[in-house]
Amino acid sequence: MVQTPDKPITKLPPSTHEFAEIIHRLEAGGSMLPDTPENLMQIIGIYKAYAVPMDFYWRDLLYIAERVFLNPLPFFKYFLPKEYLERHNHYAGDDADLRIWRGEATAHPELLAFMEKGETFKMPKLFHHLFHDRINMEFAEACMRAMLWHRHMYAPVNQFDAYLDSEEYKANADRAIKAYFQGNPVMLGLYKLFPDMFLEQCRQMSYYANLGLFWEVMAPVFFEMSDIYDEGGFKGVPDAMNFLVNGIFAIAGRPIYHHVYIRGECYEIIPKSKGFTWLYEAALPYVEAVFYRTAPFRGTKSYNAQVGQVPDKQEDFHYGILYADVFPVGTAGIPPTLLMQDMLHFLPSYLVEYYKKHCRGEDDMLIQLGISFQRSMYNVTSAVIQALRTALLYPLDDQNPKHLQANREFFEAQLNRFCRPEYGMRDAARLRQIQRQDYR
Amino acid sequence: MLSVLIWLPIITAAFIALLPSNIPANRIRLGALTLAGIVLLWNLFILFKFDINNPGMQLQEYLPWNETLGLSYQLGVDGISILMLILNSLLTWIAIYSSSQQIERPRLFYSLILLVSGGVAGAFLAENLLLFFLFYELELIPFYLLISIWGGQKRAYAGIKFLIYTAVSGALILATFLGIVWLTGSPNFNYDSLSTQALSTVLQITLLLGILIGFGIKIPLIPLHTWLPDAYVEASAPIAILLGGVLAKLGTYGILRFGMELFPQAWSILAPSLAIWGAVSAIYGAVVAIAQKDIKRMVAYSSIGHMGYILLAAAASTSLALVGAVAQMVSHGIILAILFHLVGVVETKVGTRELDKLNGLMSPIRGLPLISGLLVLGGMASAGIPGMTGFIAEFIVFQGSFSVFPIPTLLCVVASGLTAVYFVILLNRTCFGKLDNNLAYYPKVQWYEKMPALILAVLILFLGVQPTWLVRWIEPTTTAVVATIPALEKTVTPQLALK
Repeated sequence: MVQTPDKPITKLPPSTHEFAEIIHRLEAGGSMLPDTPENLMQIIGIYKAYAVPMDFYWRDLLYIAERVFLNPLPFFKYFLPKEYLERHNHYAGDDADLRIWRGEATAHPELLAFMEKGETFKMPKLFHHLFHDRINMEFAEACMRAMLWHRHMYAPVNQFDAYLDSEEYKANADRAIKAYFQGNPVMLGLYKLFPDMFLEQCRQMSYYANLGLFWEVMAPVFFEMSDIYDEGGFKGVPDAMNFLVNGIFAIAGRPIYHHVYIRGECYEIIPKSKGFTWLYEAALPYVEAVFYRTAPFRGTKSYNAQVGQVPDKQEDFHYGILYADVFPVGTAGIPPTLLMQDMLHFLPSYLVEYYKKHCRGEDDMLIQLGISFQRSMYNVTSAVIQALRTALLYPLDDQNPKHLQANREFFEAQLNRFCRPEYGMRDAARLRQIQRQDYR
Repeated sequence: MLSVLIWLPIITAAFIALLPSNIPANRIRLGALTLAGIVLLWNLFILFKFDINNPGMQLQEYLPWNETLGLSYQLGVDGISILMLILNSLLTWIAIYSSSQQIERPRLFYSLILLVSGGVAGAFLAENLLLFFLFYELELIPFYLLISIWGGQKRAYAGIKFLIYTAVSGALILATFLGIVWLTGSPNFNYDSLSTQALSTVLQITLLLGILIGFGIKIPLIPLHTWLPDAYVEASAPIAILLGGVLAKLGTYGILRFGMELFPQAWSILAPSLAIWGAVSAIYGAVVAIAQKDIKRMVAYSSIGHMGYILLAAAASTSLALVGAVAQMVSHGIILAILFHLVGVVETKVGTRELDKLNGLMSPIRGLPLISGLLVLGGMASAGIPGMTGFIAEFIVFQGSFSVFPIPTLLCVVASGLTAVYFVILLNRTCFGKLDNNLAYYPKVQWYEKMPALILAVLILFLGVQPTWLVRWIEPTTTAVVATIPALEKTVTPQLALK
C-alpha cells in the first residue's frame, strides 16, 4: 500500500542522484521514510513513547535552568518539584497559548504513574533514583550539551548563540550570578577570581532553557499525533510528516528566553523581548546538533588523535540519530541506550505486540524500538527539510520548471549529506537501511 | 559394583535400539539423559566408596571367562581411573544433554552414545589386557557411525580417516599386548600378573614403542594426529565433546597404565625423548592453532597442544608430575567439553564458524552475551589463567617436570603462552568487535542450551580455587607408581633445577 507515486509527478526529468527515488518522493510531498502502514504505526508508536519521557525532560530542563541554576552541588536536580510537574504546558490544556494537544497541560498521567511506581513498586523517589528506576535525564543533558558544543552552527541566522557572547548577556548574567550567590562569600570570591567559569556555566543554563522550550513544543505535538493516529486520522507517513510541517510553522515564532528565579524574583538573562524564536534559535540548531552531529560514541569511535577517526571540523561530525548504529544499543559506550531505555516504559501496546513478533521478541525490544526511533526521526527530519523548502524556496506544485529545479537542488543538497565519503559518513547514514522493511 | 558402570549403559543402549520407531526424539533423549544421570550418580557413589589412602586397585571384580585365551573379566579402580570414570559419565551426560531435541534417527544416536560410554568405562576399569582391548575396540565402530551419520559436510572423509587411524592404533596395541604376554611367558593377560623386568632392554623398548605409537595415535601426538582436526571438526558438538573429552583420555590413560607402569626401565630410558616429543607436540599444536581460520579447528588443535603436557609429565614421572598429568587429563576434558559445546552453540545460532565472519557476539542484546562470556572463561581456562582448573593442572605439570627436564618444560611454558595467543585471537574475532547489521538477527539462546556450559564453568572455577578436590584422589596412586620407576633420569640435571 505505497501511496506516493514511484514516478515524479513534476515536469523535471528523473533525477540522477544516488537517492533519486527518495528525491522524487520528497518532490511529490512525501517523506524520506517510505510510506507503508507498518512504518506509520512504528513512527507514531515511537512518538508516543518518546513524548512521555520528553514531558519529563522539558520540565526538568526548565527546572534546572530556572531554579537549580549555578548550584555547585546540584545533587537533586533530577527531583522535579510538584510545581514543575503541575506547570502548564503552553501548547496543551484549556489555557494553552496555542493548543496543539487536546489533553491536559500538566504532566502526562503515564509519566506520573511511572514516577510513582517505576518498574518496581511505590517507594520514596530517592530510592527510585538510587535503584536507577527512573527517567534517564542524563540523555536530555547530553542533547543540551551537544547543542552547546556545536555552537556557531547557523552563524548569521542564529542570533541566540551570538547573543551569549554579547556584553548585554554578560551584564544580565552578572546580575543573576551575584544575586544567586548573595551571602556566600566563597562563591562570590571565586566569581571575582574566575568570572568566565561562571559565565560559561550560565551559558550552559541558557541552553538548558533553550532545549526545554524546544521540547515543551515537541511533547504535545507527539501526543497529539498519537491521538490522531488512534482516531484513524493519519492515512500515511506523508500525513504524519505534514502535521509536523504545519506544527513547525504554527509554532515557529514562539519565544525562546532564559529566566532565572532567585528568591522569588525573576532575572531575565535572555529576555523575551530579544525576539528569539523557536524555529531559528531552537529547532534548527537542535536538528543539526542532535540529529546530525552530536559527539562520537565512546563505544564506537576512538578519540585517539593519531588515528584520525574523529573529524577535525565539527561540521563533519556525523554521530546523530540519522547516522547512529542502533545494534549495539545496550552495550557500554552507546549513549542512545539511555533514551531507548526511557522509551521502553511507555510503548503503546500495539508496538509491543509488533516487536514480539519479530527478531528476539521482547528480548531485543530495546534495539527494535531504537530502529523504529531512527525511522521516526528520519520522518521528523523530512518535515524539517520540507519546512525549510517551504520557507526558503517554492511550493511543490509550482509550474515554473526553474523553481522546481531549485527545489530539486535543495533536496539533493540535503541528501548529499548522507553520501559524503569522508570518515565513512556514507556508510554510517541509515537512510539506505530504513528504506527496507526488514531492517529492524 | 563397577560392572554397573559398564553394563547399565550398554544394556540401555540395546534397549533403546529396539524401541519402536514412532517414539519422538525428545522422549528418547530424555530416557538416555535419565540413564546417563543414574550412571553419573552411581559413579559419584563409587567415588564416595573409594578409599583415598589405598594406592592400589580397589573394588575389584573377578570372573574367569576364557581360560585358554587368558581372558578374564577382571575389573578394578585406582586413583587414575576413578577420575577418568567420573569424567566419562559426566561428559556422557553433558553430551546427551547438549544434543538436539529433534535429532534424526534418535534411537541409533543415543544407543551409540551409551554404548560408547559403557565401552569407555570398561576400558578404564579393565585389569586384563585383552579385556581392555575388547573395550578399546568397542569404541571404534560407534564413533565412526556417530561422526559419519550426524557430522558436518566432510563427515564421510573424516569418519573413514578416524576409523583407519584408530584401527591401526588397535592393531598395534593388540600386537604389543600379545608380544608382552608371549615374551614374558605369562599364562594369561591379567594385568597384575605381568612383569617385564625379565625382558632384555631392547625388547622392552620395542614393546614400549608399540604402546607409545598405538596410544599416541589416540591421544594424539604429532605426527600421528592428522585424523584429529577432521574428526573433531566434522563431528557434531556432543560427539566432539565425547571425542575430545573422553576418547583422547583413553590414549593417555593407556600410555600411563600400559606404557609407564609395565615398562618402568624402558620408560626411564625413553623419557628424555618423550619429554621432547611432548614439548614439540605442545608447541606444534599451539602454532598450528594460531594459523586456523575456523574456531572449531582452533579448539581441536588446542587439544593436541594440551596433550603434549601430559606426555611431558609422564616422561618426567616424578610424583608431582604424574599428579599433574592426571589433573591435566581431567581439566582438559572439562575445558574441551565447554569449548566444544560453546562453539556448537555459536555455530547453530550464527550459522558459521569462520573467524572472518564472526564478530561482536558479546553484544548484550543482539549477540550471544552469556555464551561469549563463557567462551572467554573457557579460553582463559585453557590458556592456563590462575583461578581455573587449567592453571592448576599445568602448574603442577611444570612444577613436577622442571627439575627433570627443564628445557622441554620451558618449551611447554612457551606453548602455554602461545595458547593464550590463539585464544585471544579467537575471542577477539568472535566476541569483540561489532555485529554486522545485515546478518545479526540471530535466534536467542535458550536456557537449556546454556546449562551444560554453566555446569562445566562452575566445575572449572571450583576446581580452580579448590584444587584439592582434583588431586586428592590421584596422589597415593601416582606416588606408588613413581616408586617403581628407576630414578636414573631424575638426577641428570640437578644443577639446573630450581632450589
